[in-house]
Amino acid sequence: MLFLQQLINGLANGMGYVLIAVGLTLVFGVLRIVNFAHGEFYMLGAYATYYAMSLLGLGYIPALLCATLLMAVLGVLANRFFFAPLQKEHEFTILLSSLGLALLLAHAAEAVFGADPKYLDTPFSDATFEWGDITVTQQRLLVIGVAVCLIVLVYAFIRFTRMGQMMQATAQHPEGAALTGIDTRFVHSYTFALACALAALSGALVGPTTMLFPTVGDWAVLKGFIVVVMGGLGSISGALLGGLILGVAEALGGSYISMGFKDAIGYAIIIAVLLWRPHGLFQPGAQR
Amino acid sequence: MSTPALLQAIGISKRFGGLQAVLDVDLSVMPGEVVGLIGPNGAGKTTLFNMLAGSMPPSAGRLWFGGEDCTGASAHHMAQRGMARTFQITSVFPALTVWDNVCAATHRHQRTDWLGAVWRSRAYRDEQTQMSERATHALQQAGLWHRRHDVGSELPYGEQRKLEIAIALATAPRLLLLDEPAAGMNPEEAGKLVLLIQQLRDQGMAVLLVEHHMRVVMGACDRVVVLSSGEKIAEGTPKEVVSNPEVVRVYLGRETVHA
Amino acid sequence: MNRWQQAALPLGLLCLAPLALGNDYVLHMLCLWALYSLLALSLNIVVGFLGELTFGHAAFFGVGAYTSALLVMQAGWPLWLAPLAGAVLAGALGWVIGHVSLRIIGPQFAILTLGFGAITLTITNYWVDVTRGPMGLSQIPAFAVPALGWDFSRAAHMYPLALLLLGLVLYGCHALQHSRSGRAFVALRENPALAASIGIDVFRTKLLGFVAATALAGFSGALYAHYLRVITPELMSLSYMSAMLIMVVIGGKGSLIGPVLGALLYTFMLEALRSTGSWRMVVFAALLIACVVFLPGGLVSLWRRRPAQGKP
Repeated sequence: MLFLQQLINGLANGMGYVLIAVGLTLVFGVLRIVNFAHGEFYMLGAYATYYAMSLLGLGYIPALLCATLLMAVLGVLANRFFFAPLQKEHEFTILLSSLGLALLLAHAAEAVFGADPKYLDTPFSDATFEWGDITVTQQRLLVIGVAVCLIVLVYAFIRFTRMGQMMQATAQHPEGAALTGIDTRFVHSYTFALACALAALSGALVGPTTMLFPTVGDWAVLKGFIVVVMGGLGSISGALLGGLILGVAEALGGSYISMGFKDAIGYAIIIAVLLWRPHGLFQPGAQR
Repeated sequence: MSTPALLQAIGISKRFGGLQAVLDVDLSVMPGEVVGLIGPNGAGKTTLFNMLAGSMPPSAGRLWFGGEDCTGASAHHMAQRGMARTFQITSVFPALTVWDNVCAATHRHQRTDWLGAVWRSRAYRDEQTQMSERATHALQQAGLWHRRHDVGSELPYGEQRKLEIAIALATAPRLLLLDEPAAGMNPEEAGKLVLLIQQLRDQGMAVLLVEHHMRVVMGACDRVVVLSSGEKIAEGTPKEVVSNPEVVRVYLGRETVHA
Repeated sequence: MNRWQQAALPLGLLCLAPLALGNDYVLHMLCLWALYSLLALSLNIVVGFLGELTFGHAAFFGVGAYTSALLVMQAGWPLWLAPLAGAVLAGALGWVIGHVSLRIIGPQFAILTLGFGAITLTITNYWVDVTRGPMGLSQIPAFAVPALGWDFSRAAHMYPLALLLLGLVLYGCHALQHSRSGRAFVALRENPALAASIGIDVFRTKLLGFVAATALAGFSGALYAHYLRVITPELMSLSYMSAMLIMVVIGGKGSLIGPVLGALLYTFMLEALRSTGSWRMVVFAALLIACVVFLPGGLVSLWRRRPAQGKP
């Protein structure tokens, strides 16, 4: 039964990773940008929810929605000021710029919010759901449930809506898309907004299952990258698969081997995957 | 023929999944010979060219360079043995000056390395002088000496093509592979190119060029090989090949032969 | 060379001037600057010369530090030999990781090196029997020449040594730039396909550069360990890694003076802004971004129009 318990925990964590990874992979697919600052939006989403609840007295769900919206806006601004101007530059430059942004946000958060950990209390974080020997907090179930819905929605959005198709076009052929009249700058902003919203949502959902501190964004973006690279840069289904694999592997490895090595497991996996399949488990851009 | 061929390819083929790009081609280049490789678009010239240069391994067949079996050898291996090539899309070192571009190309001739540079040994200093001499010679031959301080990426297209050739020449190759060197050239430039190739041949260098520009082929080549749909359909002197009915048939109706 | 020969003497004297002031605090900062310069120069080989972004470099710094300290403290190795062993081990680890990773380019390479770096950090953190885990190693013996009264854990004594080593490494890097391998690095950074076609074995050359860089990082780590006498796994953390990258990028990657300048800026600004707490990193991050956007060549590009390597 311990196995099942760990499995479910792993799935919950994994779905959290998937939400982060989907945003990351979308930004890479459509804008060709590797955004190291992505994890900071996860962190800020969690903190925004926290402060919306504690300072503004909002309920959990409204606070979560506010935070998500706020981060979407922030994402658009970040793209406008940090990435769009560097469009023509070498990808190295953009990578470094995103690293700078990540450092900026993480340390500003530390300066403003303080380095001490905060606890995000929600109506779901203490209530549990029991089934036999397995105990799962409702928060974890919420993560899984919301994430699954979101993945389906995002996938449908990209497949079936006009904006989604414009995103696909821009991803596959930036110059061609611009030539057919697609406003690529708008598509870029939209993609960024969506990606940061997903990250913020993940922060608001997963945050209550652990504690908040300003550098959690670094941790989040690393998980995101491991998943994205595992699944193939630009592939949503790859992100889904990768996230689940990582979450479950960490949970099982953590309990059966050692808690301390939990994070190292992720790195070991990604190294193994990259050496076997340098482009990830899915061919890049094969599925959206 | 008692002299062994410098480059010898036998039965070279390349298959990409379901597509047979090159089929069973025999090709040889003798030392000091200029060979032209022509054929309509899609004939497999570039694929064959890349296989000879080591950029792509053949699916079948064998390749000898300088008497050594080089089948499937990598590009740098071929370069180390004295083969130089240019690229269809002009390829230089963009951020380096013209001078540094050409100096880099003397790589295969140097033996001293970091330790020699640290101690500034005799051997190191001699090699630096040699490098300068080779670079100077290559730039003068390509007509770029006056541009040596300019940065590679800032050169106009025509000069970049010259730089490409200068880089190839600086490696002091035994065999020079040119990929459509006359592309985009006006008749005057093309004429100068023919003279340069003849000059190189007179200096003992062998040249293999892929070209569409017929004046250049006629003027510079000792022998011409014709490819169509991946197979060799004719071989001979330029005059023989141009009057070969099979060759004429393959070109007519596909594209005009620009003379 | 002439420009540098002219500047070397006044610069050298300038660098030695602080000794006359006798201010231990400033001298300590300068020692840190010199050691960080070595580290930045080693990262510069990968990021500047080879043009590859790596996130695992801090691990080699840590490996060198721990190896040297442990060899002296646990295995009784002589102090003058241990740092060399640190360099060798770091270089060997670099060979293994490089051999496995360098065929892969782009962001995947960055992730791979990040992964290897993180694993090294985790091992160091949890192999408590050997490394004492998060508590780190302390009371590490310092270099000393008792007969002459030289104690290299004192800033006033360490500074000239550090400067000397920095000078030697700078000369070594300069020689590298003007050697066959150095030119090959630049070629494969600028255009790998063309580099191969002129006879450069791209993979082996990259590996060579990578190993040189990691060995140098290990060496500087060892020096750091024997000067500060306390090391923790923090040395291998992402924050050290970011700091290194900041130094190299703001200073000017690909140049020699750039990383040294970047290290100077970092060391002194960090100190100067100490009172502002977390905001100082915000300032640095803003500087990094500003540099990347407006001055991609780093501070060095302010007075240098293009990186001239040789003159005909």
